Amino acid sequence: MPKPIIQVEKLSKLYDLGVVGATTFRDSMERRILNLLGQPDKTRKIGLKHRTIALDDPQAGPDPNSIWALKDISFTVERGEILGIIGRNGAGKSTLLKILSRITEPTEGKAVIRGRVSSLLEIGTGFHPELTGRDNIYLNGCILGMRKLEIDSKFDEIVAFSGIEKFLDTPVKRYSSGMFVRLAFAVAAHLEPEILFIDEVLSVGDFDFQQKCLRKIGEVSKEGRTIIFVSHSMNAIETICSRGIILSQGRVVFEGSQLDAIRCYIASSTENKK
Amino acid sequence: MDTHKERDYEFIIQPNKSWFYFDWKGLSYYRDLLFFIVKRDFYSKYKQAVLGPFWFIISPLATTLVFTVVFGNMIKIPTDGMPPVLFYLCGLLAWRYFVACLNGTSDTLVSNAHLFGKVYFPRLIPPIAVVISNFFSFILELIVFLVFIFYFKFFTLADSKIQPNFIIFLLPLLVIQIAILSMGIGLWISALTAKYRDLIFLMGFLTQLWMYATPVIYPASMVSQKWRIFIVVNPMSSVVEAFRYAFLGVGLLRVDYLLFSAVATLVIFLSGLLVFNKAEKTFIDTV
Ligand SMILES: Nc1ncnc2c1ncn2[C@@H]1O[C@H](COP(=O)(O)OP(=O)(O)OP(=O)(O)O)[C@@H](O)[C@H]1O
Ligand SMILES: [Mg+2]
Repeated sequence: MPKPIIQVEKLSKLYDLGVVGATTFRDSMERRILNLLGQPDKTRKIGLKHRTIALDDPQAGPDPNSIWALKDISFTVERGEILGIIGRNGAGKSTLLKILSRITEPTEGKAVIRGRVSSLLEIGTGFHPELTGRDNIYLNGCILGMRKLEIDSKFDEIVAFSGIEKFLDTPVKRYSSGMFVRLAFAVAAHLEPEILFIDEVLSVGDFDFQQKCLRKIGEVSKEGRTIIFVSHSMNAIETICSRGIILSQGRVVFEGSQLDAIRCYIASSTENKK
Repeated sequence: MDTHKERDYEFIIQPNKSWFYFDWKGLSYYRDLLFFIVKRDFYSKYKQAVLGPFWFIISPLATTLVFTVVFGNMIKIPTDGMPPVLFYLCGLLAWRYFVACLNGTSDTLVSNAHLFGKVYFPRLIPPIAVVISNFFSFILELIVFLVFIFYFKFFTLADSKIQPNFIIFLLPLLVIQIAILSMGIGLWISALTAKYRDLIFLMGFLTQLWMYATPVIYPASMVSQKWRIFIVVNPMSSVVEAFRYAFLGVGLLRVDYLLFSAVATLVIFLSGLLVFNKAEKTFIDTV
């Protein structure tokens, strides 16, 4: 049996909510000097008094005001699977994708990734307003992990998908915001990595364009690509995912088929409302 | 049985990877990105400048003019017997490349925070791009300088004093040294500013002081024995003096000083790589 393409084992991430952290040289020197003079550390005291995270909060970390954005997350994804991740705001979905796409390090645990990754945590990352649409396609494509040759071969397709042929050689700063989004999506939709992470990015386009993108993602998955898809749109999760995970306060609380996950998620949120 | 060539790609995500873990494979994979970032930087710099491409030429010339009037004509600081214009142009050629790279690389983490928070690519790509795109401005300034040498050598009385020599063949090495020295310091400052955001305000001050500590405006030969040590420990001094020796045939060229400067450069560069590599991994959490 081939090994799973993504294997996540007890992954945890501790965030400092940033009251205590030294952010300037001046602050840190001031604190050091005060310590030397035997005065109590003002900043630390503030941190203790204004504890934003209650001690009995399940997410409370070891230090005051630190929070386990993820705690002991484990799951595996097989090649060709599309895994949907749902959860309330602040559940840790984006944090999980950030760790898996190597943007930040986990605090504990381990994940093994067995394939080339592209992540779409935002669209249009790295677009430069002065550059033309054409130059931005190349720049953005490379940032997302494509090679120049790959972009060359898909260039016409990308332009056709975006529908902005006429403005290809216009600086992007002269685009309408919708045109900008379309171009950015067009580049992203033509990524062909083995593994793709998508975070809540489809919600910006207009309805038609969203449908077009979802269809494209569906096609892509038929070619054996593995996708982790984060969305608040149950509709999108239902149509494109084959499996679902619910995250709540940094933990996996449900794992199963996407339909069961959606049912469970909706049930839990109506329960909470009562 | 595994039929896929999975192991080629296997990547393990773990906390606290070793200080010595570098994503070399990624660096080579993302070379196209490097190319496009260099293109973007060069293009946007040239778009921003008031006079477009001419700015690359006018800015060193204007500085040289000021130096010539103030330090050459008014204060009369000696220039090793060279026409002051050539003397300053030569020092500035090396110094300006150094400062441009230093300024560009030292805010790598902060100025790319937006990109780094959304997508992974080797974080060394932007500083390398800075060094490369500034290299093109360096080449333009070099051409201007060569035109001036040509003029002074063949159309003025200073001709016999100006003696370009075989040290010119060292030039590529010297330019590489400037690049990695500035990048090394830039990486250090980048890593430090990630933690202490206000350090970046000291940059202007630092580069200003450093220029006065380097024989750009004055020749190293003028520095008395007592102060010589400051010339020796500053890796840029030997580089600037070697530039002058190569193009003009004047200056303090000593193998031991050059070697020391090369070793210092390597130490700064390698340690810079390490601290940057360490800082980069969780930097994005504290933005
Ligand atoms: N850089 C950071 N520093 C401190 N805390 C952070 C940081 N980034 C995220 N957090 C915290 O981690 C938790 C999880 O955030 P995350 O962005 O992963 O949520 P999410 O599930 O993506 O929510 P949403 O649906 O709103 O996008 C939140 O409580 C948030 O406050
Ligand atoms: Mg999110």
